[in-house]
Amino acid sequence: MRPSYLTAAAWLLMQGTAASVAVAGAAPRYAVADMPAALRENAHAVVRLDEQTLVVKSVSRTVETNRRAVTILDEAGADWAMQVVYYDQLNTVSYLRGTVYNAAGQALRQLRPSDVRDYGLSDGFSLASDGRGRAADLRQATYPYTVEYEYEVVSNNPLFYSSWRPQPQEQLAVEKSSFRVVTPANLPLRYQERHLPVGSAAIASTEGTQLVYQWQVHDLVAVDEELDAPPVSELTPAVLTAPTEFEVQGHHGKLTSWQTLGEWTYQLNAGRDELPPAIKARIASLVQGETDERARIRKVYEFLQANTRYISIQLGIGGWQTFPASSVAANGYGDCKALTNYCKALLQAANITSYCALVRADEPDIRTEFPSSQFNHVVLCVPLAKAAKPDTVWLECTSQTTAFNYMGSFTGNRHALLLTPSGGKLVRTPSYGAAENRRERRADVYVDAQGNATASIRTVRTGLEQDRYNFLFHSLDPAEQKKRIADVLPLANFSIAKFSLAPGAPAAVPSMVESLALTLPNFAPPSGKRVFVSANLLSRWASLPATVGERQADIWLDNAFAYSDTIRIHVPAGMKPESLPSPVKLTTTFGSYSSQIQTLADGTLQYVRQLRMPVAHFARTDYPAYVEFRRKISAADKAQVVFVKNES
Amino acid sequence: MTLTTTRLWLTTALVCLVLPVLAQKAAPAPIEFGSVKAVDFTPTTSSDSTQAPAEYLCDYGTSKIEGGHEQFQVIFERTARLRIHRKSGYRYATVRVPLYTRDGKTERLTKLRGFTYNLQNGQLVKTKLNADALFREVVDKNHIQCSFTLPDVREGSIVEFSYVINSDFVFNLQDWQFEHSIPTRWSEYRAFLPQFYIYKTVTRGYLPFAIHETLTVPYSTTYTNPREGLAPLTQSQIHGLAQQLRWAMKDVPAFREEPFMTTPTDYLRSVHFELAGVNFDGEYRDLTGKWEGIWKRLSEDDEFEAATKEPASLATQAQALRQRYPDSTARAAAVLALVQRSVVYNDEARIYTSQPLRRTVERHVGNSADINLLLVQTLRAAGLPATPLLLSTRDHGQIQKDVPEISQFNYVAAHLKLPGRPDVLLDATEPQLPLGLLPERCLNGEGRLANAGGNWVPLKTNVRYTDYRTLRLQLSDQGELTGNAKIEYAGYAAVAARRQIRQTSAAEYLGQAARRWQDWQPAAPHLLADSLQKPVTLELALHHTPAGAEASVLYLPLLNLPDALPYDFRAENRLYPINFGMPR
Repeated sequence: MRPSYLTAAAWLLMQGTAASVAVAGAAPRYAVADMPAALRENAHAVVRLDEQTLVVKSVSRTVETNRRAVTILDEAGADWAMQVVYYDQLNTVSYLRGTVYNAAGQALRQLRPSDVRDYGLSDGFSLASDGRGRAADLRQATYPYTVEYEYEVVSNNPLFYSSWRPQPQEQLAVEKSSFRVVTPANLPLRYQERHLPVGSAAIASTEGTQLVYQWQVHDLVAVDEELDAPPVSELTPAVLTAPTEFEVQGHHGKLTSWQTLGEWTYQLNAGRDELPPAIKARIASLVQGETDERARIRKVYEFLQANTRYISIQLGIGGWQTFPASSVAANGYGDCKALTNYCKALLQAANITSYCALVRADEPDIRTEFPSSQFNHVVLCVPLAKAAKPDTVWLECTSQTTAFNYMGSFTGNRHALLLTPSGGKLVRTPSYGAAENRRERRADVYVDAQGNATASIRTVRTGLEQDRYNFLFHSLDPAEQKKRIADVLPLANFSIAKFSLAPGAPAAVPSMVESLALTLPNFAPPSGKRVFVSANLLSRWASLPATVGERQADIWLDNAFAYSDTIRIHVPAGMKPESLPSPVKLTTTFGSYSSQIQTLADGTLQYVRQLRMPVAHFARTDYPAYVEFRRKISAADKAQVVFVKNES
Repeated sequence: MTLTTTRLWLTTALVCLVLPVLAQKAAPAPIEFGSVKAVDFTPTTSSDSTQAPAEYLCDYGTSKIEGGHEQFQVIFERTARLRIHRKSGYRYATVRVPLYTRDGKTERLTKLRGFTYNLQNGQLVKTKLNADALFREVVDKNHIQCSFTLPDVREGSIVEFSYVINSDFVFNLQDWQFEHSIPTRWSEYRAFLPQFYIYKTVTRGYLPFAIHETLTVPYSTTYTNPREGLAPLTQSQIHGLAQQLRWAMKDVPAFREEPFMTTPTDYLRSVHFELAGVNFDGEYRDLTGKWEGIWKRLSEDDEFEAATKEPASLATQAQALRQRYPDSTARAAAVLALVQRSVVYNDEARIYTSQPLRRTVERHVGNSADINLLLVQTLRAAGLPATPLLLSTRDHGQIQKDVPEISQFNYVAAHLKLPGRPDVLLDATEPQLPLGLLPERCLNGEGRLANAGGNWVPLKTNVRYTDYRTLRLQLSDQGELTGNAKIEYAGYAAVAARRQIRQTSAAEYLGQAARRWQDWQPAAPHLLADSLQKPVTLELALHHTPAGAEASVLYLPLLNLPDALPYDFRAENRLYPINFGMPR
């Protein structure tokens, strides 16, 4: 018998006696003094022991057990003293137990059933959700202390196997963590190891008819989160797992490739795209006479956007199986699967073939080399059949306002699993680079003799740069939009005389146009004969903070964009520029920057700033150079123009 | 089944009922469910509300007390009609109805009906809400949420729904909120209150009512009597009079939150009820009574004052502190620190304990009543005459002193009277909160001492939010500034700074502070040793190079210091009063 089971048996014996008696008799556990000192460094909490076990009972059932002891070093680590175990129609919690220990390792108290709160995860957003949680709170008022939680979840949804992430966060150290998977020999485990320390690769063995896989890590020191770096979860050890075969509520599938996962999902949703004849007829008349394929798709998409809305419904198998198209036709609403399936059916009625495509939205892209259920959203992919060269239209069916054929930061630039009759196929959604993600600003600033100013500013944003503004435009009324814009203007003292925000003319990527008229009291107060003006009105970019210690992570620049500012500064007659900042031009692998000021024929000053950043990754050794690049930009952005009164 | 007829004894206690005006005629309901016509889609000329995501055309609610099986029930009926103007208003076509349940008594949602109306080519098209599409979620042991969404909603749709809530809780009628985050053209609430149930009503908010009236109307209901032994069920027919209270608001603009408010519910027009007394037989029985009555009940409540009467859980430590600190102020501070380091606040503001105080000590976790009643108990054990202080937190809303309702309070702090010194307010829910300071969330009007005297105590504080900076800089002949900054946070600024340090780390806090001074090349930021009696003090070395070094006149950027001119009021106008809570 394994030691952990021995302690579990001893534990059960203790349950029979009064808690305080058992506590008094027990040997200390998790004493803080026993912990290697290096683990305390830079950590708010230390995982002392983490034993995660996944037992595959059958093709349709798994049991996950967890025992985790965490020493909480300070208030910032106190979240680890609370535990929520999630469950729903397909997952049940067998037990949730907890004990809290003092620094010396003496058990102070055991969690009682009455301490556990059971609640609905009503998110205020879904119309219906079966998600629930059991929550326990073992926080203590003096530090350090140690909490230990044990729980078991029985799952009838083996489409998902548990992953092992022993160090999921920054400022968390790990003394010892293990993961054990037990599965019948006919259901071998599929797994992917990531960033495992040397020597901690899987140990596989056979116990009777069971296959056993084990991993273990120990003494992982806490890591820090760094700027422009990959998330900590991308840098620390992990083992992803997946079944070879599974069954969810009678729906059997294989998961040996993207092809088989796609096949299962396709079959689960097959035959749910039948439309009422009236809708079919409406679509037929809608696209009648329109011969251009793209225009036909656009008409159908606009019909969808005008006649449906998104309602989140999270219930059981409904997480993977769509409501029938007829239900959307009747109600005018659906969740992402239902609306995408409906749009697919509408396109079919217009003689256009399309495919649902699973994506992981709003989170890092899926691990393409490890086929498994990593998705949380679905969009529609429409390959153009008649185009001269291969072309595809992508449709976000849950939004009533997203532009036609646009995949913004939520779904763009990532992999998607196309669900076709012959199974799943991995493809890429559109990605947008610096050429598409633009912010172009033109401003005229009029300064008067007292130093007060007015400015008129027109800013055009395209691609990913416009996402936020598009959202503001569609979700808020103009008064609220103006308030939000005012909140982020980097000016100390201003009022907005005129404001408008509107979508630009349709183009390959969507755009938003913002127009502002500002009054800027005391913008450039005269100082004797002189007036100082910051030429860069709204686009200063801060330098990076001084680094503490050596850079650990690589540099990840994940947003490509191109900014251009043209600011014209008009000063009253009788003032002339005394000194102009010298032009700055930086061309590096991190990006390029230039700013310069020139005097126009009529005496107006024209400031032009351009910044272009690509998507790129760099080695951590490049960090000082990147800091220098940002420092130079920041310095150049502060350039001031000095005007002086003409001697009269 | 026998039917008896009872005429209720008309009591003189109902002074507000003027007998000659018996049976006044009630106004017709402002809305009839299902009566939308094509003409209703024509926008009214006066309104520019089509810019709003959606608007309430009419929202009408009624509450009636009716006889039921061995008890009276509250029947609440709501009928609402909204126009959905923009896609961003689609969410108003989804309705969530919270229901309450306790001790086997429940609120039940029944008679759900709904329609969506669309105008298609001049034709009115009605789509019916499928009543099966009502989702019910058990939020926790006392709360259920029902939700439904209307079908076939588009820009321009009119949606209409109606439902009834049958409630066993006659103590609370349903509240009514007249204002919303979208414009409301008409909102009306009527309560029919039979003469034998007497309610207190509380109205909140600023904007005027279009109608606020009280009528006397006839009342009749059937009550099923308790079964006696094997006797058949008997019913009583009750006839009498009822008060019809009626409130309405017209053309209410959308509510917008502004900085430095307490909670929107303090500003939104609403009406609330609490059962004040009953009079079934000519004798008025007071149920909420006076504040004194509330205190009497609290003093006997196991989850309030009675909880503090148990043997003190921290008695040993309290005794030790009594010996060690003869000075009562120093002793109070030591007891406060003892309780602060014994229990963690679970962020639940409550007036009743969730567990016996000894259990709070054992678990080291508790709500505001668990912690601050423990504080009261421990102060008393240390020989200090502490009293629980009931209050309403800022996000719970202002107290209406003339309405003795226990539900106005949601939080307990502690109050200490020291001979020859000013009274002291204490709270142990936050570590490092000094004696005499309540957490910011508590700075909300007045609190009430939960003792027989029951005085109101202003929750105002003399402690300011103080951010004090000293810069010592040397100017070189090249225009460079070199020196250091000393930044001191005192009072509530210190409370906030200590909280931030605890919840991150000193290093992270210093890093953030240095970042704000980035233009000044900050170096060696450090915190001075902390003591609760002193401000949180942070020092850093600074160096500034002038931007226009070549200019013949130097420009010193001293007005451009970080956060030198905080700018909290960017909006051009302000509708509601500003409430800082503490002096700034």
